[in-house]
Amino acid sequence: MPAIDAPKNPPGKPAPTPLVSLRDIHLSFGANEVLKGISLDVLPGQVVSIIGPSGSGKSSLLRCITGLLRPQLGTITVGATRVDRLRHEAELIALRRRVGFVFQQYNLFPHLSVLDNLVLGPVRVNGRPRDEAEHQARELLQRVGLAHKAAAYPGELSGGQQQRVAIARALAMQPELILFDEVTSALDPETVGEVLTVIRELAEDGMTCVLVTHEMRFAAEVSDEVVFTEAGLIVEQGPAARLFGNPQQERTRAFLRRALGASLGSQSYAPDNKVVALPIDRFRFAI
Amino acid sequence: MADSSWLQEAVQATRTLGLNYAFVLDAGERQAFARGLWVTLQLCAVTLPLSLLAGVGLASGLNSPRAWLRRPTRVFVELTRNTPTLVQLYCAFLVLNLLINQQLQGRASNPLTPFAWVVIVVALHKAAFHAEALRAGLQAVPEVTLEAARSLGLSSRQLLLQVELPLALRFALPSLVNNLVDAVKMTAVASAIAVGDVTYESIMIWTQRDNVLELLLLILLYFGLLTWAVSRAGRWLENRLRMPGYGT
Amino acid sequence: MAHDTHHPGAVQDAPLWPWLAAAVTTLLGLAAWTQFSANPPVALQQLAKWLPTLLLGLGANIGISVLAMALGTVAGLLIGALSLSTMAPLRGATRVYVQVFRNAPVLVLVYFSTYVFPFELQLHHWRLPFPDWIKVVLGLALPASANVAEIFRGAVQSIPSAQWEAAQSLALSRRDIFRLVVLPQCVRRMLPPWMNLYASITMATSLASLVGVHDVVDAAQIASNTVSRTDFTVLIYATLLLLFFAYCYPIARATQALEARHARH
Repeated sequence: MPAIDAPKNPPGKPAPTPLVSLRDIHLSFGANEVLKGISLDVLPGQVVSIIGPSGSGKSSLLRCITGLLRPQLGTITVGATRVDRLRHEAELIALRRRVGFVFQQYNLFPHLSVLDNLVLGPVRVNGRPRDEAEHQARELLQRVGLAHKAAAYPGELSGGQQQRVAIARALAMQPELILFDEVTSALDPETVGEVLTVIRELAEDGMTCVLVTHEMRFAAEVSDEVVFTEAGLIVEQGPAARLFGNPQQERTRAFLRRALGASLGSQSYAPDNKVVALPIDRFRFAI
Repeated sequence: MADSSWLQEAVQATRTLGLNYAFVLDAGERQAFARGLWVTLQLCAVTLPLSLLAGVGLASGLNSPRAWLRRPTRVFVELTRNTPTLVQLYCAFLVLNLLINQQLQGRASNPLTPFAWVVIVVALHKAAFHAEALRAGLQAVPEVTLEAARSLGLSSRQLLLQVELPLALRFALPSLVNNLVDAVKMTAVASAIAVGDVTYESIMIWTQRDNVLELLLLILLYFGLLTWAVSRAGRWLENRLRMPGYGT
Repeated sequence: MAHDTHHPGAVQDAPLWPWLAAAVTTLLGLAAWTQFSANPPVALQQLAKWLPTLLLGLGANIGISVLAMALGTVAGLLIGALSLSTMAPLRGATRVYVQVFRNAPVLVLVYFSTYVFPFELQLHHWRLPFPDWIKVVLGLALPASANVAEIFRGAVQSIPSAQWEAAQSLALSRRDIFRLVVLPQCVRRMLPPWMNLYASITMATSLASLVGVHDVVDAAQIASNTVSRTDFTVLIYATLLLLFFAYCYPIARATQALEARHARH
């Protein structure tokens, strides 16, 4: 694991172009303004976590990036594509082949087997031959630890298993970037760990990830950059160590106090689900 | 004759129960009744698939984003669902048929027989119910599942064919099968416009012989058999299309 | 619009009241035209002449449907209650009854009650005529009762078992649980399908014309044969359709409104 405090690009190199660039995003649902001017950059290979109280528009922000929602104001760029300018379905489809999305409620297709869920996208959208797609699907299932469930149906799997299949389904499209929308919020505590393990491995393999999450400790461990939003605006952002260890804004401190509570820095989800003591002194929570 | 001896024995057996099935021994009446059984079977075989096709057509009309298609379809569906089949049959056969005959004026023969009219009216009547069932099925597909499909990059058409319609069909299947069972029963109105189905032939026989109860028992058994077959087929389909573990 | 959606699954029902308003206005206009114009079309004049007969016939249909539904509801509730009995033979018998009378075509049941019941009843020295319309009432009450029994059973079984457990933990007897907890909730759940059933029974009363009852369909047929004009035939059958629609459609809408209200709770 890279040292938490070291920046991704050593000094002296030119700053790389962001993969995702959001500028001044405003989004309203009717009279309710949910995003009030969000600007954010995500560099290739970076893992960015977005934390904040419920209703601060975090999920809506993710949906804007993949074109499921259209902001009233602002620009969104993914690679070379101006997402907010896309009008035709073909353009949106081209975008969604590059951006993976994993939902809080897994949203697997209940009438298809696990294997067919993973094969549908590559065959229908990317036009790959079926046996090639199946081969890749089995490899992905192996990677998330569910190779033995290829013929099962989503209804027969536990929540954690379904979510791992959902991640594999997003990976099957071979995206440049994956968005995770509170993917562990609907799971039993025992199964949260298995999903976070998969995400950690993805991050370590260099996948660009943007996570909206309530798992503070996980965000602290795995992210390069953490963004704290409240009421539709970014309050504070920075490397995980700094945001969690030395939050500058009072509102950030108040939120972390509420979210982390008294049991500060005692647990972390290690790859084999054993409870490991987090080296707390690296963070020095100033509460 | 040898083959009628078991019929005679059967008729004797029923006589001990107080039932008069003597008509079975008369060749003409027996054949008429058998013809009636065959016509009812034909009515069902043609009407049921036609009603499903028309139901899909009406359902897509109801769900169309174009108002000029949606509103007249809605009016037609409401009109058909809230008026009796018999009255619709009379409107079709006594009014529309008359108008068509007047227009044709002997230049050509009217291709629509009373049998055809029964099929058209019952199929359209049931199609309205199918359309409502399919509409409810489409609305039952969770929006989030469609969102997931869209996020994978599926086009609208692929979304419809691969995700939305398969799920909607599974949700609507019990209602659709119920409607088909109703359609089988509804074919009995064919007797009102002298189409030779089992009900009509029975009426012909019992006005001569006055054995209404016996014939009604046979008709009930026959319709019971047909409805049982349809619901069996429906259950088989439900099993084939089931989603293991769904809803638990 | 914030949403990117090409799928019209959320298309609302186009409200039909503008159409109904237009239809009523047209009818009133036609009526006024018939009354006040010096030379109204013959068909409309004849329609005005025959309308009272039609409406009387419709009254017969409505009367039959109300009586059949009343009888069917009482019988159906009894049978439904029996179908939940703890004794297996009772349950089996009610199951047979419900299967037979739900799977039989209504027309066959109407013929059954018309021909099988005697022409008149003899009680000691009194001869009571057994009119055809009462036979139709009995004939329609049979499928009505079978359907009510099913509706009742479905409503009772849809009460979550958690309610039963809660009531039992309060030490209520089985009878009390039915009376105080289950039945009040059942009534609300039964109402929409019951209203649907009533609409179906009303439409089934049109079959009475086939067994000699002088209902609205019979009146329309007589009118059409008497006047014997094509334009009048079209008009009278359209009116027949609209009369049934005017009675059954409001019931359907009320049912939908009731279901929507129940779903919100």
